[in-house]
Amino acid sequence: MRIRELPVVARHTGPHRHQAAVALLFLLPALLFYAVFIVLPVLFTGVLALSTGPRPGLTGMTFAGPDNFTALFAPDSSFLFPVLTNTLLYAAGTVVLTTGGGLVAALCLVRLPGQGLWRTLYFLPVVTTVVATGNAWKHLYRPDGPVNAALNAVGLDSVGFLQNPSAALPAVVVVQSWASLGSAVLILTAGLTTVPRDCLEAAALDGAGPLTVLVRVTLPLLRPALLFVCVTQLLAGLQSFALIAVMTGNGGPGDATDVAALEMYRRAFTYGDWGTAGAAAFVLFLVTLVITLAQLRLFEPGGGDA
Amino acid sequence: MPDRVGRRRMLAGIAGLAAGGCTARPDRGGGRGPVDLKLLSHYGEGPLEAGLRRAVDDWNAGQSRSRVETVAVRFEDLLTTVVVRQAAGQGTDILHLYALWAGQLVRAGVLRPVPPGDAVRVRDGFPAAVAGAVGVDGVPFGYPTEVQTYGLYCNRRLLAAAGAARPPRTWRELEAVARAATRKDRHGNTVVQGLALSRVDDSETVNPVLALLASGGGAFLTADGRGCALGSPAGDAVFGLQRRLVRTGAGDPAIDMYAAFPAGRAAMAVNGGWWCGSLTASMGERYRDVVTAALPGPAAGDRGTLATAFLMGVNTQCRHPGPAWEFVRWLNADAVAPPGGGGARVTRMSALQWAAGSMTGRTADMRALLGAHGDPNAVPFLDALAHATPEPNGPRAQQAKSVLRKNIEEMWNGRLSAAEALNATCTQVDRELSRPG
Repeated sequence: MRIRELPVVARHTGPHRHQAAVALLFLLPALLFYAVFIVLPVLFTGVLALSTGPRPGLTGMTFAGPDNFTALFAPDSSFLFPVLTNTLLYAAGTVVLTTGGGLVAALCLVRLPGQGLWRTLYFLPVVTTVVATGNAWKHLYRPDGPVNAALNAVGLDSVGFLQNPSAALPAVVVVQSWASLGSAVLILTAGLTTVPRDCLEAAALDGAGPLTVLVRVTLPLLRPALLFVCVTQLLAGLQSFALIAVMTGNGGPGDATDVAALEMYRRAFTYGDWGTAGAAAFVLFLVTLVITLAQLRLFEPGGGDA
Repeated sequence: MPDRVGRRRMLAGIAGLAAGGCTARPDRGGGRGPVDLKLLSHYGEGPLEAGLRRAVDDWNAGQSRSRVETVAVRFEDLLTTVVVRQAAGQGTDILHLYALWAGQLVRAGVLRPVPPGDAVRVRDGFPAAVAGAVGVDGVPFGYPTEVQTYGLYCNRRLLAAAGAARPPRTWRELEAVARAATRKDRHGNTVVQGLALSRVDDSETVNPVLALLASGGGAFLTADGRGCALGSPAGDAVFGLQRRLVRTGAGDPAIDMYAAFPAGRAAMAVNGGWWCGSLTASMGERYRDVVTAALPGPAAGDRGTLATAFLMGVNTQCRHPGPAWEFVRWLNADAVAPPGGGGARVTRMSALQWAAGSMTGRTADMRALLGAHGDPNAVPFLDALAHATPEPNGPRAQQAKSVLRKNIEEMWNGRLSAAEALNATCTQVDRELSRPG
């Protein structure tokens, strides 16, 4: 015990204390940034969530207790259904399509020559602005647009992609996934290059077919990359706002594409209803935290087998 | 030592820059020159933008007390811009706003009440419905500017093809003509809509429905604005009519009304009077096909429609309210004889709106200008000023309108029946309106 304690005592002596102070000084800008742009807004959102009033200042609000949360989850409120449900469906759809599509594309790309070119092509939508992407797809989805023209050309009836409430959310999920596919492909192809070839060859020598190699060898070794793609896509999906705002304007038709971030934005910045907007933000934060932690647990080595 | 001085100077410079950045505008009052005022509006393009810019240029050239600069955003972003700028302490001096938001923005402390002399001018210069639209609890918070009443736009050629010699006068005729005029291709795509519907934003969806509701003697909210009044025979009838139009394909919300009607692919549409000017510009010679009429009611001769208004007011964060009101008064209350106005003495705002094919709530100005160069299609909208119902503008009016829009769309989509949509609207609106704060 005494031997262990010695270095601890030593760390608090002159030169070490100086080093710690210097380290703290260097960390200070990052800590300040974190405090100003993360901690303070979170605390302020907490205050807003428990307050009511038309102005978002500490003087313009009065304490409301849990009233804003009660209003959000009132029986006839649209927040739980369809807003939060849409948010989860949107995020889940995005994760599944982006990760699945990204994995298929990455598996194909690593076998092709000129990987850089392919990765660049896949990555182009990622660097395109959401407004441009949204408007381009909005045009494609129009009742008299190219997609419906193609459907009509093969004898199928038109689909109201953004007009039919059953089709609108999936239609936007497809666009979000398409726009995010590039980053998933980039990460997964990088992950695939780190899979040791000798493991693959050993499995093949043991008589494993391509599918078995993929499921039993490649995917487990790709777990960190898959985790990263899933978590980032889920976070992006849960917080998505801009694409839906561009493509459906207000979460329509009806509330078919209304999601939590859009609802939050509308309540705060259109209606000036800062209290319920703060409460919605907190609920979304908690949902995101819980799902992300669950995902991390699931992707831990052995986590999925538990 | 020199290092320390340098560091101090740098810190002082940074502090100065920060302070400068935090200041909304330099205060040039106090007799050192004209004060700078910013005017926020949604007149960002077309004849309204040009008209407002010309008026502001005239003001800036004609006096040296203040200089006005216009800032334009899209209508869809106007309320958000006001709310966000106000929260950031950077509210624009003069605001040109949709009167629907008056209650919300007064509650949020954004709008100043008009000075007493101007309050009299507002009360005496406009019909009661228009003056009421810019007031909250009887106190006006700005001058009414653009006022819209809703009427029926018809394509004469498509009506004739549907066997109708004149615009419909009753809801029954409206529905019959709409069905007769509708044409689809073999894939079910709409080629010609009977009655065009629009879901561009809350107002585009809701206002035509509220106009029809008013023509049937109904109302959206109770007189005190504290509850939903849709649960009425008129409400049932209008929701039922809308549902039938969509179910039979006579109305197709998927089609962009603003592309379809000018292109001759919609026989009828319900819209505000401002559209006359826009259609004149976009349709050219084909505007001859357009005829307007008073909105049909349940029975021939029933009168009623919706009136929406904009107001021009002064922000509570404005440092120079005196000069700001002076400009607002100059634009909206002082009578002049505008060029091309046939010698009529009207306000600059009336001249501006008329030149853009729109109108103000000053009936006398509008009649004088109509006499000078009248588009007969403007007459039904002007006539409607006398009996139109103003939009309720309580503190949560925009939220109530958004709730109504969602439920109308759910009904159009077939996810709710007319009765379900009506009940859901009433329940949700009542809940929103009863919330404290």
